[in-house]
Amino acid sequence: MSNRLPAEDPLIRMQRDLKRALAKKPSDIKWGMVIDIARCIGCHACTVACVAENKLPPGVVYRVVVEQEIGQYPHVTRRFIPRPCVQCQKPPCVRVCPVTATYKNEQGVVVMNYDRCIGCRYCMGACPYTARCSDFGDWYTSDTPEMPGKVVGRAATAKGYEARPATEYGQDWPERGHGSPVGNARKCHFCLHRLAVGMLPACVTSCVGRATIFGDRTDKESLVFEMIGSPRVTRWKEELGTQPAVYYLA
Amino acid sequence: MNENTFRILLGVGGVGLLAGTLGMGVRLIFGHVHMAYGSYVPWGLWVAFDLLFLGLTAGAYIIIVLTYGFGLKQFEPLVPLSVFSLLVSLLCEGIIISLDLGHPLRVYRFLVTPSFSSMLTWLVVFILAMWLIFIPFLYLLLREKFVLWSRDPERKGRDIYRALAMGRTEYSDADRERDRKWLRILALISIPVGFIFFAVPSAMFTDMLGRPHWDSAILPILYMFASYLSGCALITLLACVYHPQEPVIGFLSRLLRGFLLLFLLIEFIQIFFGYRTDNPGAVAALNLITNGPNAWVFWVIHLLLGSIVPLYLLTARPHDARSVAWAGFLIVITFVAVRYNAVVPELMSYNLEGRDLFFVQRRLSQAYTPNLYEWLVSLWVVSLWVVVFLLGTRWLPVIPAEKGGEQHAS
Repeated sequence: MSNRLPAEDPLIRMQRDLKRALAKKPSDIKWGMVIDIARCIGCHACTVACVAENKLPPGVVYRVVVEQEIGQYPHVTRRFIPRPCVQCQKPPCVRVCPVTATYKNEQGVVVMNYDRCIGCRYCMGACPYTARCSDFGDWYTSDTPEMPGKVVGRAATAKGYEARPATEYGQDWPERGHGSPVGNARKCHFCLHRLAVGMLPACVTSCVGRATIFGDRTDKESLVFEMIGSPRVTRWKEELGTQPAVYYLA
Repeated sequence: MNENTFRILLGVGGVGLLAGTLGMGVRLIFGHVHMAYGSYVPWGLWVAFDLLFLGLTAGAYIIIVLTYGFGLKQFEPLVPLSVFSLLVSLLCEGIIISLDLGHPLRVYRFLVTPSFSSMLTWLVVFILAMWLIFIPFLYLLLREKFVLWSRDPERKGRDIYRALAMGRTEYSDADRERDRKWLRILALISIPVGFIFFAVPSAMFTDMLGRPHWDSAILPILYMFASYLSGCALITLLACVYHPQEPVIGFLSRLLRGFLLLFLLIEFIQIFFGYRTDNPGAVAALNLITNGPNAWVFWVIHLLLGSIVPLYLLTARPHDARSVAWAGFLIVITFVAVRYNAVVPELMSYNLEGRDLFFVQRRLSQAYTPNLYEWLVSLWVVSLWVVVFLLGTRWLPVIPAEKGGEQHAS
């Protein structure tokens, strides 16, 4: 990690890169992410931002931060490895899905068709990064006491937040508990609904250490392209041949 | 089977259905909320039962291979019973795996938007093929009796048999010859279809990346022999109950012993070489099976009750129908332990350091123990198998009545 202060906040540059990418033909964009482990402080802000952005229910999480303890006392350190869906370019989850409910879109992002998914959970076992979750229909408010007619209580609390669906994939989903995505497999989609309106993914904007870099990995002027060229770059479980579009700077 | 045994078994099935209703109610009303599986162990007890039911269909396959493939006519009286057991097993398999789906009403998607790169699609294709082969097969086997029963004025449900006979009142020698020809064609088609069918579930598991316990060329062989063993055990049990003729029982008991020994050999190879690889992922899964908190499932349920005791019975008393029946029964009821260990330990032991510490939540846990509701749903489906099968033997001409002295509905 450089000791120099950055001349420009990477977020500003990524925002500029994003604007340039969105001006291209959509099929020419290939989204990519680089995570600099040396910059990650393990604050889990990205996890929380992702949960809030996508209104994820209990037990569903798209981006976790793996915490590892290395060495032996007194030479001990911890490292933090954020793990979104690594958006394999040869995705094993797509190959095993029996009803083509999950597929790689033209921009290289593995997405879900919630209305097609039968909820067999085969993709969960097949993902070597355990990056998929099933929405079993759990509620944060399930243990909240009901108080009919009040502004508090289970129903009112739920309506205030978790019953309202997120606009994942840019669609209006029914109120929670009325069909998909309950019963579906769910996964990180690089916040495609935010990208569509010119916003970076929630995990990127919330990263206080600026450890997460995002952009069009085919754009040679972009920060993400520059980072992929680093000698520190590596990919998770490269030996499996899944060709992730999420890179790590070790 | 005498009337008292029939009533007792039917009562046991009825009680099982009644008890299982609680689990079914919870599943149908609340979905998956109260079930124990999660995103890291996405398949649990119901998938184990699904594989069990799929394997039980191998019993009919074995009888058909013996009868139509090898021309062993002494097994012909068992054909309708075994094919009926196959259809009941497929029915229960369909029910339990539908309950496991997040959106069971979307199963039509398999036909509308199939992905042929998925082994699950191929499993569904072969399950459909089994239905398409064996429904007409059973019908052709029973058509003559339907015609006869529809003409019997004393018989209860005569109108149903008339409908099943499709208005036919006579069954000539030419009809018999034509039906036999079609039966032979369907039987010959079923032999290669069945051969692949019993290996396809293993392909689902070998297709998962980075799972060393499953990533093995021996897995398809293991799955095939697991199906042959459990299916042969079921059909041996049924033969002892409904067709206790010496040549049949003697042959089936020897066949069952052979399948049991072969399966144990293949299982030993899987475990021995799994440990020899020293691959941490494979060793972790094997440790869970042989040395984990649920190791008793492997040692006591599978090896002692499901292998050693039946092996003793089949070796010491191979011609005693009662002992052979007990051996078959023990193998069938303990086989869910084999299927459970084939699915769950690998999912629980997946090697990604600190996986269940990423985000602490019960759905994101590597631990899995089937809860009461999962057991109750399984009980309901197993009880359904028992009840449908027993009622079928009473209301359909599937058992060699003149041999076992059964009373058909009359």
